[in-house]
Amino acid sequence: MVNLLKLKKAHLKKFLNKLKNEHKLYVPVKTDLVRFEEYKGDIYLKENSYFPIKEFFFKKEETLFDYNKNKISVPEKESEKRIFFGVRRCDLNAIKHQDMIFIEKFNDPYYKKERENSILIGYHCNTAPSEFCFCGSMDLKDCQDLMFFDKGSYFLVEISSKKGSSLIKKHKEFFKNTDKKITTKKIPNTDILHTKDISNLYNNPDWKKASSMCLSCSACTALCPTCYCHSIHDEGNVHNLNKGKRKRTWSSCQLKEFTKVAGGHVFREKREDRFKHRIYHQLEYFKERYGVNLCTGCGRCISGCPTRINWLKLVNEMKK
Amino acid sequence: MKTTKLKIGFYGITGCAGCQLSFIFNEDELLSLIDLIDLRAFPFIKEFNLEEKFDYVFIEGLVANKNDLKTLKKLREKADKLVALGACAHTGCVPAYRNFTLKENYKHLLYMKRTEIQDVKPTPVDTHVNVDYTIPGCPPDKNEIMNFIKDIVKGKEPKINNNPVCVECRRNNNVCLLDVGKPCLGPITRGGCNSVCTNGKFECWGCRGLTDDADIKLLVKLLKEKGFSEKIIKQRMRSFVGLKLPNLEKIMNE
Repeated sequence: MVNLLKLKKAHLKKFLNKLKNEHKLYVPVKTDLVRFEEYKGDIYLKENSYFPIKEFFFKKEETLFDYNKNKISVPEKESEKRIFFGVRRCDLNAIKHQDMIFIEKFNDPYYKKERENSILIGYHCNTAPSEFCFCGSMDLKDCQDLMFFDKGSYFLVEISSKKGSSLIKKHKEFFKNTDKKITTKKIPNTDILHTKDISNLYNNPDWKKASSMCLSCSACTALCPTCYCHSIHDEGNVHNLNKGKRKRTWSSCQLKEFTKVAGGHVFREKREDRFKHRIYHQLEYFKERYGVNLCTGCGRCISGCPTRINWLKLVNEMKK
Repeated sequence: MKTTKLKIGFYGITGCAGCQLSFIFNEDELLSLIDLIDLRAFPFIKEFNLEEKFDYVFIEGLVANKNDLKTLKKLREKADKLVALGACAHTGCVPAYRNFTLKENYKHLLYMKRTEIQDVKPTPVDTHVNVDYTIPGCPPDKNEIMNFIKDIVKGKEPKINNNPVCVECRRNNNVCLLDVGKPCLGPITRGGCNSVCTNGKFECWGCRGLTDDADIKLLVKLLKEKGFSEKIIKQRMRSFVGLKLPNLEKIMNE
């Protein structure tokens, strides 16, 4: 199998239009922010999207089942074939990490269905799209179906999976063979987190510097492509209180309510503890269970924070 | 579930009746909802009201004159549980703003001509009587009122949102208004409104009151750094929750 092909930039839109005929095609578009939206002819590749594509798989709100007394029924969901074009390496890895939880460990049918019907086409960053990008410090892997490398007047397209390969076969008229090679996948100047081992820093007093800047608004976790904490609640039907829906919604470890249990006890009352918990989950706790860091270095938790808490700088300086 | 229906009353003191209206806006579910309870009194929409004992009284509005206080105390005695419904009852809301302005600024407007009204310092319900539950908002979300009633009917402890507006605002994929130069109070304000204002790019003024966890000092610092004048910050913070921020002057000067 040839795993590297060439696509002229002038042919990109023709290719996307073809894809659009058979799939729902989502691409980054610049509106007030850069967002993934259905392809309507415009595409914006200069920055990464403000919101990650997590919401397309791990839904903000999901009805798990309808209940009627002791009986439950899982709602049938229409699934559509989807393609996401222009996903960055950090976000692709983030989806891989969510797969580990929702598919490999727990086999979550809601998430799995959304994933199975989707093809992920990456767009490789030639330079870091934001000053807070630190993917170079994380150990990222190839987990896309296709990857587009921007080479000026053309793209080099790497075929990385069976899904990707069959998509290319279907549309082979756009692609040419090439003898070019991808020499590196490291994105320059993104190794700005100097240490990922923070196991001995938990009691460092400097954490207070960060948590004193934290509004506990949970922007960091909402914008994080990997954060998956959620809460589950029942919505009773007013016409018959025995009936209702059980729903799963996004939540956040940064909220005081998140660790509130029956009886009113809050496990992480202090903002500092909540702030540390997020960083430690990303860099330590997930690794203990799954063998990789949860964080993929997209930097959204800093660029999207209202007070721009730069925990990278904080951790770097703690070591010194 | 209780076998006898909960006896419920809806009342209003000084306010715009919008909170009671918000309950009525549950049009499609209203009849089923009323079926679940014994709606004893609702003077806003009912002519005949049985005013004896209540399991729950929902009260809208704030205490702004002597009659309000009398009504409130009477209802507190009759109610097993008192629910402050909406921003006026909860925080004093906009009518309480006159606590922060001189009497000369408003006395020519109405009260001097209406001598039968004996005005008192405008204050929320919890200043005068014990409040068991609060449903915040100006007005409260209709679903929130409905969920509250469903919960108490089932004998479940009602859950009032205590997360900041930012939670829903980010979930709705909005641009952060603090980042585009608006003095948004979302980070300190209780959510549950589905960030209805910020969805329309209108910054949060804090109508749902403060979260238990609100960091006023930090938001004031941030707004100052972003170049907002003390006057604007004070105005915004006092519009809905002024009486809940007795230390604002001190915080501003830090």
